[in-house]
Amino acid sequence: MSRRVRPPECDRPALLVRGTVRSGRQVRHNGDVVVLGDVNPGGQIVAAGDVAVMGTLRGTVHAGATGDHSAVVAAFRLCPTQLRIASYVSRPPEDPGGHPEYPELALVRDGVVVVQPLTSGTLTRSGPDETLPDRGGGQRKPLIGKQ
Amino acid sequence: MRQPGQVIVITSGKGGVGKTTACANIATALSLLGHRVAMVDADIGLRNLDVVMGLENRIVYDVVDVVEGFCRVRQALIKDKRFEGLYLLPAAQTRDKSAVSPLQMKSVCDELRTDFDFVLVDCPAGIEQGFRNAVAGADRAIIITTPEVASVRDADRIIGLLEADGMAEPQLVLNRIRQQMVRRGDMMDTDDVIEILAIDLLGVVPEDEGIIVSTNRGEPAVTLPGSRAGLAFRNIARRIRGEVVPFMSLEENNGLLARLSRMVRLSSG
Repeated sequence: MSRRVRPPECDRPALLVRGTVRSGRQVRHNGDVVVLGDVNPGGQIVAAGDVAVMGTLRGTVHAGATGDHSAVVAAFRLCPTQLRIASYVSRPPEDPGGHPEYPELALVRDGVVVVQPLTSGTLTRSGPDETLPDRGGGQRKPLIGKQ
Repeated sequence: MRQPGQVIVITSGKGGVGKTTACANIATALSLLGHRVAMVDADIGLRNLDVVMGLENRIVYDVVDVVEGFCRVRQALIKDKRFEGLYLLPAAQTRDKSAVSPLQMKSVCDELRTDFDFVLVDCPAGIEQGFRNAVAGADRAIIITTPEVASVRDADRIIGLLEADGMAEPQLVLNRIRQQMVRRGDMMDTDDVIEILAIDLLGVVPEDEGIIVSTNRGEPAVTLPGSRAGLAFRNIARRIRGEVVPFMSLEENNGLLARLSRMVRLSSG
């Protein structure tokens, strides 16, 4: 079973965005992106690497935009309009049951974008083949995904 | 030599959310509080502020005439005879937004601020030239939004553009709120809107049929004693002056019987 691991020294610096990304603003970066704030509906993050939103993600996000489908999206509150990882496009489930109030992580597994609670065990990078420990009793809900 | 006045732009992004109505009513309320106020209609080509104020018959010159050097600002200003200290600089109806540049608008606003306590600029909908013109001369902005997803989306865009321009943090007026719909969960409430827009709340204006009547007649609602929207705009004007004014109750039926029945429902629910 192969495991894709990104080397610890990354030659692409991460971009840190302070404050909320408002509607109409696009943040593009050839690397990882961290937002210290919300991403409002109509706001866009396009990153070659991972995306972490230390706030509420309500806009659209594209991680692994240059083709890395091991990229992940994390947010304190994950409620994106649309979420993409590499060539996978997904949107929130149809039922407006409300979003969990805990941090979540979205990643590609078995050809589908899945969302799981963000716990300390899920913070290490892993490829699509590795099974991440699912702590905290959270549920994995597959989003509607297509390649 | 008077202290230079403040130039405030009333903007929203979305069309039809109440910028012109708010501009007319806030300006009138400020003049009733004793200030000298100039309203500037920046919606060139689709002017409405003159209609809403009931001053369309008195237009001789407009802002394009001023900018093209055809007349002086003083000649174009219309003095509203009903309200001491209230003036209107109308837009042109037969031209469009390209007739004026941001720099020219700024120069007009700078000239007005030397003679008025407040200059209120009514901004057109959109984010293009009309918007750019309207904000060019402004010190601060008031964002008008209705509690609807589309309106909040556009307001957020506008706030982002103003932030990028380096303007001081805008303030929010939440317009046309219907408390019964909010209670049913059919309409966003104030907290939902603030959670996304994250700016200070200047005022909340309830939905009021009387606004349609008042704008058609050209009589600002702040002058009509029974108007709840009018009261909300008067409170907003007082807050702009720096007064601390508690937010009014938004309950649509606030008679004694209605309040008693709400108390009973709350205690039994």
